[in-house]
Amino acid sequence: MLLQQLLNGLVVGGVYALFAVGFNLIFGVQRFLNLAHGAVFMTGAFVAYYTVEAGGPLVLGFLAAVVSAGLLSVLIEIVCFRRLRKSGDAEFGAILSSMGASLVIMTVWQWISQTQVVRFPFDTVPVVIFRFWGLRVSLLQVIMIVAAVVIVMIMAWFIYRTSFGRQVRAVTDNEKAAMLVGVNPNRTYNMTYFISGALAGAAGVLVGLAFNNINYMMGEPYLLFGFAIIILGGLGSIPGALLASLIFGMVQTLSIAYLPSGLTTAFIFSAMFLILLVKPTGLMGREEAGSLRGRR
Amino acid sequence: MTNVLLGYQPLFDLFLLHLGMAYSQWLVLRAGVFSLATVGLAAVGAYTGGILVVTLGFPAPVALLAAALAGGIVALGLSVPLARLRGVYQAIATVAFIQIVLSLNIYAAGLTGGPQGLNGIPKTVGTLTLLIAGILTVYLMYAIMSSRLGRAFDAIRQNEAVAASLGVSIVRHQTLAFVISGALAGTYGALEAFHSYALAPSQFAFPFLIAVLSYVVLGGRNTIIGPIIGTAILLILPEIARPLAEARMLVYGLLLILVINYLPRGIADTLIERARARRLSARLAKSDTAPTTAARS
Repeated sequence: MLLQQLLNGLVVGGVYALFAVGFNLIFGVQRFLNLAHGAVFMTGAFVAYYTVEAGGPLVLGFLAAVVSAGLLSVLIEIVCFRRLRKSGDAEFGAILSSMGASLVIMTVWQWISQTQVVRFPFDTVPVVIFRFWGLRVSLLQVIMIVAAVVIVMIMAWFIYRTSFGRQVRAVTDNEKAAMLVGVNPNRTYNMTYFISGALAGAAGVLVGLAFNNINYMMGEPYLLFGFAIIILGGLGSIPGALLASLIFGMVQTLSIAYLPSGLTTAFIFSAMFLILLVKPTGLMGREEAGSLRGRR
Repeated sequence: MTNVLLGYQPLFDLFLLHLGMAYSQWLVLRAGVFSLATVGLAAVGAYTGGILVVTLGFPAPVALLAAALAGGIVALGLSVPLARLRGVYQAIATVAFIQIVLSLNIYAAGLTGGPQGLNGIPKTVGTLTLLIAGILTVYLMYAIMSSRLGRAFDAIRQNEAVAASLGVSIVRHQTLAFVISGALAGTYGALEAFHSYALAPSQFAFPFLIAVLSYVVLGGRNTIIGPIIGTAILLILPEIARPLAEARMLVYGLLLILVINYLPRGIADTLIERARARRLSARLAKSDTAPTTAARS
C-alpha cells in the first residue's frame, strides 16, 4: 500500500516537475514571478481537448498544446514584462501584470468553454492496467511518467548542453555581463518563455488526461502548488525544482492517504511557511531571500 | 432623485467595505512590506466577528472590537517570519497564509460552518456605520502619514539602507504597519460579516485579493486619495457600462496590465505629480531664475 502510494506520488510529482521547472526557469532568468503560468498550463489542456474533440489524434493535440502554450508564454513576456523590465519597480509590477494576464486568459477560456467542465472522450487513452510486484500501474500513468521524463531530459539537454542554454544560464547569472559578451537578452527571454510555456502546456495535457476535468479554473491550484514547490526547491534553481516536485508529489499523495482529508492544503502550506522561515533559499536556492535591498 | 440614489446604495456600501480593505493593503505597501495578506486577515476578522455574534451571542460592537484585535494579533504573529523575508518571498509567504486560513476555514466546519459558510448573522451594520468607519479610516491614514511614522514608512519603502542609516528601525516600523493593516482588515472583515448576513470561505480567496490589489494599484500607492479613486473606478465602471459587468474579470486583467506598464504610479499619484510639477515650473518661470532647470524638473 505504501509502495503503491509512493509510486502514485512519483507520477504526480513528474507532472508537477513539468509545471514547476518552467515556473522556476522564468524566475531564475528574470527574477519575475509569472502568475500567468497557471493560465498557460490550462491553455495546454484546453488546446489538446479541442484538438481531440475536432477529431485529431491525441499526439497531435499534445503537440498543438505544447506549441500554443509556448507561444502564449512568449506573448505574455512581450505584453506584460518587456516594458516593466526597463522600469525600476519590476518585481512588484510583474506580479500584478501577470496576474492581469492570468485573468484575461481565464476569461477567454471561460467564454470558449461556456463555464463548462470538459472531459476527454472515454477512450482517448485506453484503460490498461499493468500489475507487477503487487503494484498497479495504468497505461496512462506510464505515459505520464515517460512523457515527464523525456520532456525534462530534452529541456535539461537544451539548457545544459547547447549554446542557447549557456546563454540562458549566463543571463540568469548576470544579465549585464552576458550582454557584454554578446548575448541578446530579448531573444534569450523569448526562448526561455517558450520553453517554460511549452513545459506548462505539456503538464496541462497530462493533468487533463489524468483527472479528466478541464475547466477555466484548473490552473489556480497548480499555481499555488508551484509556489510551494519552488520555495522548497529554491527559487531559480532547476535541479531544485525537479527534486522538490518529486518530494512534493509523494508528500501530497501520502498526506491525502494518511492525513484527515481537508487538512492536506493546510499541511502543505504550513510546511512551506516553515521552510521560508527556517531556510528561505530552499534546497538548492541562492542566498538572497533575506538580504537588505535598495530601492524597489 | 432619492430613488436613483437609493438604487445605488448597495453599490455605495460595497464601495465603503472594499475601500477599507484597500487601505489595509495600501498601508503595508506604503511601508515597503510586500504583503498580500489583507484578504486572509479580513477572513480572520470576519469569522471572529461572525462566530462571536452567532454562536456565542456577543453584541456586535464587542465582536467588532474583537475582530480588529484578532486581525492585529494574527498580523503581529505573521510579521515575525515576514520580517526575515524580502520582496517576492513576502508575497509568496502571505499567499500561503491566505491558503492556510482558507483551508482551515473549510476544515473546521463545526466552528465556521465549513464550505457552507456561516449563516444567519444579524444585520447590524448599515450605510451610516460604514460611512463613519470610512471617514475614520481615511482620517487615521491621513494622521499616520502626516506624522513621523508616515515619513519613516516612506523612507523605508524608498531605500531601506538609507532609512536604517538615519536611525529608522525597519523591522519595528514594518511590523507596526502590518499590525495596523491587520487590525483594519479584521475590522472591515467583521463589518462585512455584519452587513451581509452570511460568510463563505470562498469569499476571501484569490479573486478578492486581485480586486483589492487592483484598487490600490490603479488608484495610486503613495497618496491617501489613491485607494478611493481606484476603488471607485473599478466598482463603478461595470455599473455604468452594463456589458462590462459580464466581463468584470477581463476588465480587471486588462486594466492591471495597462496600468502597471503605462501608468505605474496609478491615476491619483500621476495626476498629483503632474499638478505639482506644473505649479513648480510656473512659480519658477515667474521668478525668472534658471528657466532651463525649471523646464527639466
